[in-house]
Amino acid sequence: MESITAVKVLDYKGLSCPMPIVKISMEIGKVAVGDVLEVHTTDPGSIADFPAWAKTTGHEIVEIKQEPGLIRIFVRRKK
Amino acid sequence: MDAATQDMLKNLFETKLNSAMRLYLETCTHCGACVEACHVYNSMPEMRYSSVGRSEIIRKVFLKYFKLQGKIAPWLGETIELDDVTMDRFYDAAYSCTGCRRCMMYCPFGIDTQMIMGIAKLLLIGADKEPKLLTMLADMSIAKGEDAEASKAGFEEAIANIEPEVEALWKTAPGKKTIPLNVEGADILYVALSPKHSIIPAAAILNAADASWTLSSFEAVNFGAFMGDSKRMMAIAQRIIAEAERLKVKTVAIVECGTAYRVMKQQTGKHPFEVVAFVELIAKFLREGKIHTTKNIAEKLTYHDPCQVARNGGVYEDPRYVISQIASDFKEMTPNREMNWCCGGGGGLVAMGELEFRMKSSRVKADQVKASGAGRICTICENCQTQLTDLSEHYELGVQVDSLANLVAHALIQE
Repeated sequence: MESITAVKVLDYKGLSCPMPIVKISMEIGKVAVGDVLEVHTTDPGSIADFPAWAKTTGHEIVEIKQEPGLIRIFVRRKK
Repeated sequence: MDAATQDMLKNLFETKLNSAMRLYLETCTHCGACVEACHVYNSMPEMRYSSVGRSEIIRKVFLKYFKLQGKIAPWLGETIELDDVTMDRFYDAAYSCTGCRRCMMYCPFGIDTQMIMGIAKLLLIGADKEPKLLTMLADMSIAKGEDAEASKAGFEEAIANIEPEVEALWKTAPGKKTIPLNVEGADILYVALSPKHSIIPAAAILNAADASWTLSSFEAVNFGAFMGDSKRMMAIAQRIIAEAERLKVKTVAIVECGTAYRVMKQQTGKHPFEVVAFVELIAKFLREGKIHTTKNIAEKLTYHDPCQVARNGGVYEDPRYVISQIASDFKEMTPNREMNWCCGGGGGLVAMGELEFRMKSSRVKADQVKASGAGRICTICENCQTQLTDLSEHYELGVQVDSLANLVAHALIQE
């Protein structure tokens, strides 16, 4: 897979429900179409939340990387 | 607003006119008993923020289109038309109301303002004027249910990654899974929220009780309920109901989330399983001697009754019993139980942001917390916890806000 370069890293670790999705919904509009945002979270639920959010809003989850203590989600603005 | 839209909205209005709703719309005598009951009015004393003030807009539209008096003599009773200005007033009324139903406790007829606000919310959806953030969150939850298999492996990995944090609170018995997933025949399906802090303490407590349990693949929160959309609400709840039925569990235990509890307990019909708030399980485990705790909280602690679990769900004493097992200096806020002040973050307001309004409209709650003299406050609703944390910061209360389940998990005695 080609390397992904995010224009911004967003730290959503430890936020309460449903703030990660609320915040990404606001942040995505601030970058250019095609740009990628890198979200850092610790929420197991975000593994399904972000793809479902992308599906309903028309954006793209480029990749999700997991390691103990951190989930990294790469989101591309599509429109 | 064009005539076709107006007709469509009138039809939507009519779908809400069951006998209870007609009673609520027709019996208000404007006695004013509800006015002071609203935390918003108490904090921002304008009639539009009183229960009767909110409902009056709906009543005037009801009078205009669904009562003979309004049809033949619309000038009597000051009827109002369904138009764009009215829809803006509906928004102001419905989304400044947290649906806490404290006003209902004061109304001599028991008029349910939250139910009346359901008309405003439904018509706002019809007019495409509902808060889009709530729609997006609700649709996200529904999409998650439609494609659960796609994220299954990733979710399992994420859950495995947080298991050491559960083990730090409670060493799981050999041969048992720290966070069981997808276990058919388990007694309990625990439905959490997306954040790990809604899973880890609960897993430790369930393991300490040696319970037969499994973690739900879905989050409990129901944004369809916040937006007053019964179809979306049921679609979101149905994901959990189907999972519980597939796994043949006896009990569905809902995480500390007031709306999630009330929706599953009261608004989704009958099920082949019982629905409990997680605190009810904790209290049961303690009473039956299945878990043991130490009173490790010496600082003065108070408790916030979440409206949807307490006043609207009837769970008052179990949280207090649980607190009595972990804290040595408990102080009630006044008023409490069914008369407790709403935190001011319900009805979707926390998810929608609305920080300035939430803070201004909840001054009475901040005053109540301050008057308790407690340095710590716990509750059993994530939404309330967020709002209370914001209030503590905004009003410089210096109060530490905690989840009750988290406090219990840190008080467990492993012998």
